[in-house]
Amino acid sequence: MPYLIVHEDKCVGCHTCEMVCSLSHEGVINLNLSRIHVVGYKGEKFPIMCLQCEDAPCELVCPMEAIYKEGDIRYVDGEKCIRCKMCSLVCPIGGVIYDAINHKMLRCDLCGGDPQCAKYCPMDAIEVVEEVPERRKKGVRVLYGEED
Amino acid sequence: MFGYAGKILFVDLTNGAIKKEETQKYVAEFLGGRGIATKIAYDMIPPEVNALDPENALIFMTGPMTGAAPSSSRIDVVSLSPVTNMLGGSSAGGDFGTFLKFSGYDGIVIYGKSKEKVYLKICENDITFEDASKIWNKDVFESVDYMKEAGREMVEVATIGKAGANLVKTSGISFSKRSLASRGGLGAVMGSKNLKGLVVSGCKGIKVRNKDVLNKTNYEILRKLVESPSYEKYKTWHAKITPSLLKARRPYFGDYEEEYWEDAEEAARNAKDFFEKKVKIKSNSCFSCPLRCWAWIEYNGEEAPMVACQGTFSAITFILKIKEPELAWKIYLKMQREGLDIMSTVAVIAYASRLGKVKLGSEEILDFIDKIVNRVGEGNIFAEGIKKAAEYYGVPAVYVKGGMESWSSDIRPFRGISLAAAVTESGSISRAVHGFPESSYYTKPEKAKKVAKKIAGREDVAEPTIYEEKHKLVAHFENEHIIADSLGICDTPLLSVPEELWLKAFAAITGLNYSTEDLHYYAEKIRTLERLFNVRRGLNAKNDTLSERLFQSRFRSGPWKGVGIDREKFEELKKKYYELRGWDENGIPKKETLKKYGLEVE
Repeated sequence: MPYLIVHEDKCVGCHTCEMVCSLSHEGVINLNLSRIHVVGYKGEKFPIMCLQCEDAPCELVCPMEAIYKEGDIRYVDGEKCIRCKMCSLVCPIGGVIYDAINHKMLRCDLCGGDPQCAKYCPMDAIEVVEEVPERRKKGVRVLYGEED
Repeated sequence: MFGYAGKILFVDLTNGAIKKEETQKYVAEFLGGRGIATKIAYDMIPPEVNALDPENALIFMTGPMTGAAPSSSRIDVVSLSPVTNMLGGSSAGGDFGTFLKFSGYDGIVIYGKSKEKVYLKICENDITFEDASKIWNKDVFESVDYMKEAGREMVEVATIGKAGANLVKTSGISFSKRSLASRGGLGAVMGSKNLKGLVVSGCKGIKVRNKDVLNKTNYEILRKLVESPSYEKYKTWHAKITPSLLKARRPYFGDYEEEYWEDAEEAARNAKDFFEKKVKIKSNSCFSCPLRCWAWIEYNGEEAPMVACQGTFSAITFILKIKEPELAWKIYLKMQREGLDIMSTVAVIAYASRLGKVKLGSEEILDFIDKIVNRVGEGNIFAEGIKKAAEYYGVPAVYVKGGMESWSSDIRPFRGISLAAAVTESGSISRAVHGFPESSYYTKPEKAKKVAKKIAGREDVAEPTIYEEKHKLVAHFENEHIIADSLGICDTPLLSVPEELWLKAFAAITGLNYSTEDLHYYAEKIRTLERLFNVRRGLNAKNDTLSERLFQSRFRSGPWKGVGIDREKFEELKKKYYELRGWDENGIPKKETLKKYGLEVE
C-alpha cells in the first residue's frame, strides 16, 4: 500500500496539493474541501493529511462503525455515517474534515493508490513510498511499550 | 459561470451601502482583472475629480484564472493615482486574490469616504464595517496581525500602513506582510477614504469547466516551470539578485548620478554574503506558484517576509548607496512596516540627499523615513512625492510620466524602457515592461535576442541603446502585462511557459476558447481604454514625456559612459509607437481604432 511521507523542509506553502486534491475529488478548487491541508507559521509550512493510523482513533470512536478498511486505506460509509463528526474531533492531526457544503466526512483515500498531491507538488515535499517506513513502525512499537 | 466567482462587490463608504453586480456583464468585453477594473474606473471616476476626493474609486479585481492555475495568485488594483493624477494601477501576488474569490467575489470596488476609521470584513454574504481607530496609526505588520485575529476563519488581509494613513504619496497597499500593490500611491487613496484594510475569507470554491483537462494542463505548466533552467536559480534568488542586477547594468546610484558608484561591486557582494551566510532564510511561494519569489527572513532578532523579484532590497542597496546589508535590511524592514512603495521612496530619499537633507549610506535614512511617514518638518514636502518636492525646492529631479518616481532600475540607457516610462498610462514601468529583453541583455543575451527577433524581427534590437523597433517591443510587452494582469497570472511565469498551455488552462477553467490573437485584441482594447481615461482628463502627447533632467543627463563613468537619451530619437520613437497603437500624432486614439475595439465614445 502506498504511504505518504511529508518533507516539511521542502514545502513552500503554495497550496498546489490542496488545489489538486479538491479539484480531483470534488471537481472544484476549494481549500475547505481538500483532504490535505497546508498548515504553517510564518515561513515554516507543511501539508498534513490522514496518516492511516495503525490503531485509528477515528475508527474506534465511530458510533456507527461507518469507518472501514479496504486494503490498507480507510473509507467512510456515507450510508452508515450520521455526521456526528466524532472522528474529526478525535483525530490528533486534523485528518478528517467535515464538508459543510455536501454534508459528508472527507478523508484522504490516497486517490486509490495514485496520490495526486504527491504527483503535483512542485517541490517534491510529498513522497509516495510503497511500504510504511521502518522508523514509523518502530515509533508505533515504542508507543505501545513493545520496544524501548 | 466557470472560473469567475460571478459577483463584484461595490461598497459606498459614505453611506455604507453595498451592492453586488454580475461579473458576467463585463466578461465578454473586458476579460477580467485589469481589464474589468479599467472599465469600472472609466465608468465611475469622473474626469474632474482628484485622486484623494471621495468620488475616486479604488478597484480590486482578480482574473478568471486567479486561484485556478499555477502561478495565478494575482490581484490588480486600479484607481486615479494621487502621484500623477492620472490612471494609476498596481498588481500584487500573495493569497488575497484567491481568498477573495473563495468569498464569492471577483473584485471589490470602493468609493466614497467613511466618516469613521474603518476596516471592511468580507465573508461571503456577511459584510461588516469594523472599527479601525485602534489600528489606524499602527504599522502594516501590527495591523495584519490585529485584523487576522479579528477573523475566526482563515482570513487574508490587505492593509495600509502609517504612510497610507498619512496620505504619503509613495504609499502602497500591503497584502499580508509582504506583497504590495506598491506603485502609484494607492495606499494614500485608501487612507483618504478612511479605510484601513480589507479582510476576506470564504468557503466558496472556484468552479471550473473541465476538471480533468485542467488538472492535466496545470500539471504540464508546473512541469514546464519546474524544469526550466532558471527554476533552480530562484532557490537562491535573494542572494543572487543584487549582483545579477549589477551585471545586467541596470541599477542607478543615488539621485540618478552620472558617475558610477565605485563601491557598487562590493555592496553587491556584501548583499549576496548577507543572504547566503548571515540570515536564516526559508523559501516561500504565493498561492499556486512553485517559484519561491519570497522568503521568510530572520536576522538579529527581527523577521519579515521579503519578495525578491522586483529587486527592492537591491534598490535600497544601490540607490541609497549602502555597503552594509545590515543597514539595508533595517531600511527594508522599516519601509515594509510603514507600507511604502520602496522604489519610489528610495528615489525621494536620494533626491533629498542631493539637497543635503539626508546622507546616503548612513543611519540618517531611517530617521528621514520617519519624517516622511509622519509628515514632520520638511518630511511633509517629500511625502508629496519627488515632483512636488522638486517644484518646491526648485532643484530639478528625475521622474517619469506624470511625476511618477523611476522604478528601481536606470532608464537612461534603455530605449524601450524609457519609451514605456513616458507612454504607459500609470507611469509605472514595472506594470509595462517587467521581464523586457533589454533588461536581461547582459545576463541572458541569447534569450533576449531570441525574444527580440520573435517580436520585432531583429535580434540586434535587444541591445538597450538601440532606438530602432523598440516601439514594437514596448507595445508587445505592454500587451503581455495586460493579459497577465487581466487573467490573474504572474507575468514572469506567463512569459516563460508556451502561451498555448495557458490558453488550454484558460479554456478548461472558463469554457471559453480564445486564441493568442484574441488575447492580444483584448490587451489592445484595454490599453486603448486606459488611454481614453487619461485623454478624457485632458492629457495628450505632451504629457508622454520624462523629466527634463533625464534628457540632459550623460553618464561620465561606468559601463554606460557617454550614454544619454537623444530627445529627437525619443520623440520619433514615440510617434512610431502611437502609429502602432492606432493613435494620432497627439497621442489620441483615432476614430477607426475606437471602432475596431468597440470603444466608441460620444
